[in-house]
Amino acid sequence: MKLESKVPSGPIEKSWDKHRFDLKLVNPANKRKFKVLVVGTGLAGSSAAASCAELGYQVESFCIQDSPRRAHSIAAQGGINAAKNYPNDGDSVWRLFYDTIKGGDFRAREANVYRLAQVSNAIIDQCVAQGVPFAREYGGTLSNRSFGGAQVSRTFYARGQTGQQLLLGAYSALMRQVGAGAVKLHARSEMLDLVVVDGAARGVITRDLVTGRIERHWGDAVLLCTGGYGNVFYLSTNAGACNVTATWRAHKRGAAFANPCYTQIHPTCVPVAGDHQSKLTLMSESLRNDGRVWVPKKKGDARKPQDIPEDERDYYLERKYPAFGNLVPRDIASRAAKQMADDGRGVGKTGLSVYLDFKDAIARIGLDKVKEKYGNLFDMYRHITDENPYEQPMRIYPAVHYTMGGLWVDYNLMTTIPGLFCLGEANFSDHGANRLGASALMQGLADGYFVLPYTLGGYLAGAKLPKVTADHAAFAQAENDVVMRTRALLGTGGKKAPAAFHRDLGRVMWDNVGMGRNAKGLREALSKIPEIRDAFWKGVSVVGDAADFNQTLERAGRVADFLEFGELLAKDALAREESCGGHFREEHQTPDGEAKRDDEKFAHVAAWEYNGEGKEPTRHVEPLTFDNVHIAQRNYA
Amino acid sequence: MVAAAGLLLCGFLAAHLLGNLLMFAGGGAFNAYAEALEHNPLLPLAEIGLVALFVLHIILSVRATVINRAARPEGYRVYRGKGARTPGSRTMALTGTLILVFIVVHVATFKFDLGGLKGPDLYGHVLGWFANPWYAAFYVLAVGGVGLHLSHGAQSAIQTFGVSHPRYTPLLKTAGLGFAFLIFLGFASLPVYFGFVQKRQACCTGGAHS
Amino acid sequence: MNITLKVWRQKNADAPGALVEYNVAGVVPEMSFLEMLDALNERLVAEGQDPVAFDSDCREGICGMCDLVIDGQAHGPDKEATTCQLHMRRYRDGDVVTVEPFRAKAFPIVKDLCVDRSAFDRVQAAGGFVSINTGNAVDGNAILIPHDEAEKAMDAAACIGCGACVAACPNASAMLFVAAKVSQYALLPQGRPEREKRVLAMREAMDQEGFGHCTNEYECEAACPKGIKVSNIARLNREYLRAALTSD
Repeated sequence: MKLESKVPSGPIEKSWDKHRFDLKLVNPANKRKFKVLVVGTGLAGSSAAASCAELGYQVESFCIQDSPRRAHSIAAQGGINAAKNYPNDGDSVWRLFYDTIKGGDFRAREANVYRLAQVSNAIIDQCVAQGVPFAREYGGTLSNRSFGGAQVSRTFYARGQTGQQLLLGAYSALMRQVGAGAVKLHARSEMLDLVVVDGAARGVITRDLVTGRIERHWGDAVLLCTGGYGNVFYLSTNAGACNVTATWRAHKRGAAFANPCYTQIHPTCVPVAGDHQSKLTLMSESLRNDGRVWVPKKKGDARKPQDIPEDERDYYLERKYPAFGNLVPRDIASRAAKQMADDGRGVGKTGLSVYLDFKDAIARIGLDKVKEKYGNLFDMYRHITDENPYEQPMRIYPAVHYTMGGLWVDYNLMTTIPGLFCLGEANFSDHGANRLGASALMQGLADGYFVLPYTLGGYLAGAKLPKVTADHAAFAQAENDVVMRTRALLGTGGKKAPAAFHRDLGRVMWDNVGMGRNAKGLREALSKIPEIRDAFWKGVSVVGDAADFNQTLERAGRVADFLEFGELLAKDALAREESCGGHFREEHQTPDGEAKRDDEKFAHVAAWEYNGEGKEPTRHVEPLTFDNVHIAQRNYA
Repeated sequence: MVAAAGLLLCGFLAAHLLGNLLMFAGGGAFNAYAEALEHNPLLPLAEIGLVALFVLHIILSVRATVINRAARPEGYRVYRGKGARTPGSRTMALTGTLILVFIVVHVATFKFDLGGLKGPDLYGHVLGWFANPWYAAFYVLAVGGVGLHLSHGAQSAIQTFGVSHPRYTPLLKTAGLGFAFLIFLGFASLPVYFGFVQKRQACCTGGAHS
Repeated sequence: MNITLKVWRQKNADAPGALVEYNVAGVVPEMSFLEMLDALNERLVAEGQDPVAFDSDCREGICGMCDLVIDGQAHGPDKEATTCQLHMRRYRDGDVVTVEPFRAKAFPIVKDLCVDRSAFDRVQAAGGFVSINTGNAVDGNAILIPHDEAEKAMDAAACIGCGACVAACPNASAMLFVAAKVSQYALLPQGRPEREKRVLAMREAMDQEGFGHCTNEYECEAACPKGIKVSNIARLNREYLRAALTSD
């Protein structure tokens, strides 16, 4: 396997323009002869499907929910970055590029990140034109707010529902094309395998989740926009349906999986309440703009937060990182919270939470303003905890939120399988080892609106694709694999629900491959995960029929893939003998507990190649070079 | 359309009520009014218009009800809602039917003189009917239905016409409710007064009014 | 706590359905309603019984996937909350709770408590968009939008498309859903070039899908987990009148 990044040569400011010019074009009349399959309808999938259809390609779009509008991008709260510099505070494409590279702890590809910063402004314009109701100033101009990891205000937002509004914008563009007959929509449809013909991606096998029918879909290119794998930890801020299946099956068909160990633990989530918990809820990071994080100075202080006097509180982020204070990047804020809990100063019943206090903000800007800015988040918190954050501080704790790793892609967003593209969170490309807040929405839409529509044309114009339809032998083979696997899941005669195995896996992942990782714990995980997997295949209970609406079967298939993928994640974490971004190896830290990178040995992307059942995967390396930013230890103090 | 017809019918009701209230001014005034109305050459035209409005309102309402019932073929085993419906809105079909029955009876008795009670003057004729406690009670019940129907209908029409203003719409809706109540009060006052109060007074003072 | 559930079970759209009783033991107040159903299902699966099919995804009240009618109320008893935000602290030991699907002809049952709400997608496809291709936009600040207008548009845009308005409406009407979309675009300058076309197309699509007519009962507003106001319906009516009177 060869990892060719295809990054254009020359100055970075010019590389995207130059590349776009160099890409071959598909004649408008020929576009309708190509069929593009787009899996997933989040920000990346909806925007790509709509944009490709506008260009004239035949598009088929697949989503596992009952409507494309439900994709999990909808839950993103805080905002979307762009280098507009409307606030006149010194922002620029270069600064956004620099902040994103630095925020990613120098583990992302420079050219990709630069392009992301470059197209960021066009995204805002496009969304405004679609009728996305961004927050506005009284003069009618767009509002900005600040966000973690940046010292400029560059985040555009629509209350605490920015992801929802951007997704509904992309969804409306998609539905416009569906209405026009340019996109064929398959809702409640799950991709269960990729079909590769003569080395190129030519189709997918899906299961119609209502009828259980296994279907073959052929195309000239396949776009995976299927999101991240955070649910490998069982508890995460991801939606229930988020899974690794599409990318994992593509991986098993030959797509390299890059940096799976880069997982982001988000610092501001509602803490776990008990074993029944099915998911964790994120409180937008924007809360850290006005909320102050603290714990009692005294260990095991059981007083109510209101009763703890100012001088007995430790505003530890402000103390440790005076320059950024409560706005340090997510990985740093998360680790600091864990340190407080490990130190016995965590609060709440479980001791696994810290306070996020709005008392000062309410005194400073007034209750109404706080309500306007964060009202829906406060309501959400109250619904879950039955505590009123206007009166007492919120309790927060880190939770798995986003995964920076994903299918390896080149500058064109193409995986190691020609014709298979990967967009949004599902790919590994732009966030390095840690993603900055308000950058996920930016990347998803950049990929879908402004990158892929060009690079797809470049591929299709240059590739010599023989005519392939769904009766090709490769489809029959892939369909058979899916059917056999489904049969196996239904036939174990076991007694334990798939969810229970998922919980077992999640516990191992969180304990051993979570916020703090070490070689011993990772090795333990690597021995435990296969045990759970064996137990699963011997003892999982899947009731009902394959040819029916069967949610247990859906869940079982996804858990089965997590059980394979979790092992790769742990392997990657073990192989990366350094700390960087969201990947914290306890063996590699500075004396004051900060992440310590090893740029000599690990300034590279690790891309894993699948070698078959029971065989060790191969770790390939794409070296990262930094010609435009000075690589340095991150410092937010 | 249902709302438009309904609103026009409200106008008719208001005029009709004003005319009826002349009964309190005594038989002379009321009869003169009735006389004038009957000899107005535009009356047949107005009557046709009125019938058309009723028919339109009824047909469209029935059609909407049929569509609405079909929109939920299998009902809830438990349906509670969240308290937005009012007694008026819950009973639109019921009060509508009641009103229709009443109108048939009303027109039959007062216009076409079914039952052959038509006396020398309309005033006396009306009093004659009100003297029948069953008829008077039915009359009160029916105008109660009208009031209830309007309590939902008036504000509903405002909404359907797209009137929406943060300050004035609530006022307008309250006014609609007030209108419904006044219509009820006004019409109900006639049988109550002439059928019960005056009759009792007459019997107690031994007067012979018949 | 012990909770007795009466759950609507129905194999598919054509099969007859009925309420089936289940007891769920060990319910704690911190559990969400859906986590209680998870617990029931995990037990049913372990016992080899068919679990109760129900939809949910984000479990934080934003995706609009969850959709139960609990004791006759869409999304349960709480105001401005989705089913997934309902917690068991609302209930007492021994409570009997009836759980039914959203019922409407336009939302045929898929299985048990799952319904097919693709009618909403088709209504959206009929006109719920601004016709602007990628790359055609002017600068975001080129058209100024007054703060209050943007806020009003956002109020309408907050709709999560869950369908509770339809479920709660005595007529199974989709007016609030359509009104929210029409309002959002009518309030923003970007949506105005197509306002007449949009409102006519979306209303027609709504009728074709078999939703009922609006009789201004306002149960939709009471059930809406996002607090979408019926003043949006008034705006829709205004837009519709305007379009009906001006378009040729």
